Amino acid sequence: MTLALFGRAALALCVYAVFAASDPSYRSVDNFYPILEGFALVGLVALGLSVTMIAGELDLSVGSVAAVAGIVAVKLSSWGLLPCIAATVAGAAAFGALQGFVIARLRINSLVFTIGMLIALRGLAFVISDEASVLMNLEDLGISDAITRRLWIFSPFSITTIGVFLVVGCFLAVTRYGREIYAVGGGRSEARAAGVSMVRPIVVAFAVSAALGALAGALASLKSGAAQPGGYESVLLAGVTAALVGGISLYGGRGDVIGVVVGVLTLRFLISGISSRGAPFYVESLATGGLLLAVLIVELILARRLLLAYVRRSTRVPGTLSG
Amino acid sequence: MSAERAGIATTGAVADGIAVRRDWRRLVAPVIVGLAVAAILVAGGLTTAEFLSFDNFLIVIRAASITGIVALGMTFVTISGNFFSLSVEQTAALCSIAFAEGLAHGWGLGGSLVLAIAVALAIGAVQGGVVAAGLNPIVTTLGAGAALYGLAAVVTHNEVVNFTASPAVEWIGRARPVGVPTQSWAFVIFTIVTTFVLTRTRLGRETYVVGANRAAARASGIDVSRTTIVAFTLASLAAGIAGIFTAAQITQAPLTQFSGLNIDVIAAVLVGGTALQGGEGSGLRSALGAVFIALLANFMLLRDFSFGVRTMVTGLIVIVATSAFHLLRMRGTQP
Repeated sequence: MTLALFGRAALALCVYAVFAASDPSYRSVDNFYPILEGFALVGLVALGLSVTMIAGELDLSVGSVAAVAGIVAVKLSSWGLLPCIAATVAGAAAFGALQGFVIARLRINSLVFTIGMLIALRGLAFVISDEASVLMNLEDLGISDAITRRLWIFSPFSITTIGVFLVVGCFLAVTRYGREIYAVGGGRSEARAAGVSMVRPIVVAFAVSAALGALAGALASLKSGAAQPGGYESVLLAGVTAALVGGISLYGGRGDVIGVVVGVLTLRFLISGISSRGAPFYVESLATGGLLLAVLIVELILARRLLLAYVRRSTRVPGTLSG
Repeated sequence: MSAERAGIATTGAVADGIAVRRDWRRLVAPVIVGLAVAAILVAGGLTTAEFLSFDNFLIVIRAASITGIVALGMTFVTISGNFFSLSVEQTAALCSIAFAEGLAHGWGLGGSLVLAIAVALAIGAVQGGVVAAGLNPIVTTLGAGAALYGLAAVVTHNEVVNFTASPAVEWIGRARPVGVPTQSWAFVIFTIVTTFVLTRTRLGRETYVVGANRAAARASGIDVSRTTIVAFTLASLAAGIAGIFTAAQITQAPLTQFSGLNIDVIAAVLVGGTALQGGEGSGLRSALGAVFIALLANFMLLRDFSFGVRTMVTGLIVIVATSAFHLLRMRGTQP
């Protein structure tokens, strides 16, 4: 487990080193600010997705949730920063809990249900924005300044994200509700036999996923002072890639928050390295997709190796020295 | 309730009862979708004058054709238990670009067709191979879609590929034999071919078995990997054909031409009632699903519904339809 984490951290450092070695501006302290800003957006989404993946499900609707939340947050910006974000995130959490409840009660595949939601919420984003960018009122632009205010290499956006990672990490690692999410993801029938609710962990996982997707969308939109109804479509790919690079298993029950941090950093090092070389935006798409496929294939090969080693060990006849 | 019945009846009678019930249930999904299509036709005809006109009918059929052709290919992926592919949109775009580049560089119609089809087959086979090795199909195709989009943009330097169409290319894109567009002929023919392959050939039956019960399929000697690879290759081939038709129709290949196709195709397959767990579904259902989605979109467009409302309604219909089919199926299989 820790060995795997070291491997992942080494990969992140390698990606960083490759770009840092060839580009002095990339390794400057100043460059950590944009890296951490990107970390905040993708990190929140990846963290939410990770929780559903640990529960053995996947929430495909996060991109649309982020778009709707961004529009709602910008529209509510006259309420002030904290109330507007609190209202948006609370609404999203309630929606996510309902979505998780329906998925758990119907025992329907979360992929089908959330892809329907992905389409419906994207439509909702266009409806509530009147099919155009929603701009913040000029008098509220202080909110953008508050979010982008630079504190060394951090901003309130990235500091919030780091705080959320700490909270979710503790929640998953030590609380009963958090452990239940691992239990249903690791083995559903075993968890049921042990008396774990089949509904509550799924409800909690989807509520967390929607809330974090909404927080990401709300903060990023408030930061730029505008929200597009077609925005945040690519966060699903980035989030899933980061979670998988960070060792969250798609089969559920495995992975932790530190891994997600490493995964998101790896992706951000790669993307910002590519864009700092002036490559066009679509090369990012190629790189993210390529990284995702590469990680999947490496994991698969490693899993086969481990399985083979395990089979060989357990089938060895006691007392012989073969193998 | 069923448990009590099982207690008093012989096993064979229960098995027969389930078989009969399941046969009856198999008809439910197509009947519901058929009724939904009829309901839209009636509602549209009563409220919107131009909805039932012949010209509008051709527009709907052409719109349904491209989605429908790809949905037929995707049906193989879904029936084989691999959920759906999130890369058909990018595959269609890349194949239309390959076709257009071929024509622009003087490869001729035959050479360009071979090039585009070869690209489609290669993309499908590679993805199928990766999934067959044990990777999650959704995440694999999500990554492949992003990589293919990036690749298509790099190949074309993010510019629209233009070409001058020969009469033959123009015929493929715009001809209307007996008043019906070529795309729609292809849609109808592919529906018949898909139905035949799924119900009458060994490949089709193996696809169902792999989707219904992978372990049983393996135990009975079916090559599960090969079936998976074939399913993804057919989905990719269908996307490639859609790409070729569209490029021939508009005599160019813009990168974003197929934006939204992934969602439309998944909606068509799911609304048609093909089971996402695999092992159930048919070409006809997906074809009906595609016609339904196209009719609905056209009706809402004529009624001046905004893009947002149209998208929202489509999403809600996908949610309601899949939940309803799921419940029907649960009642059918669980005591």
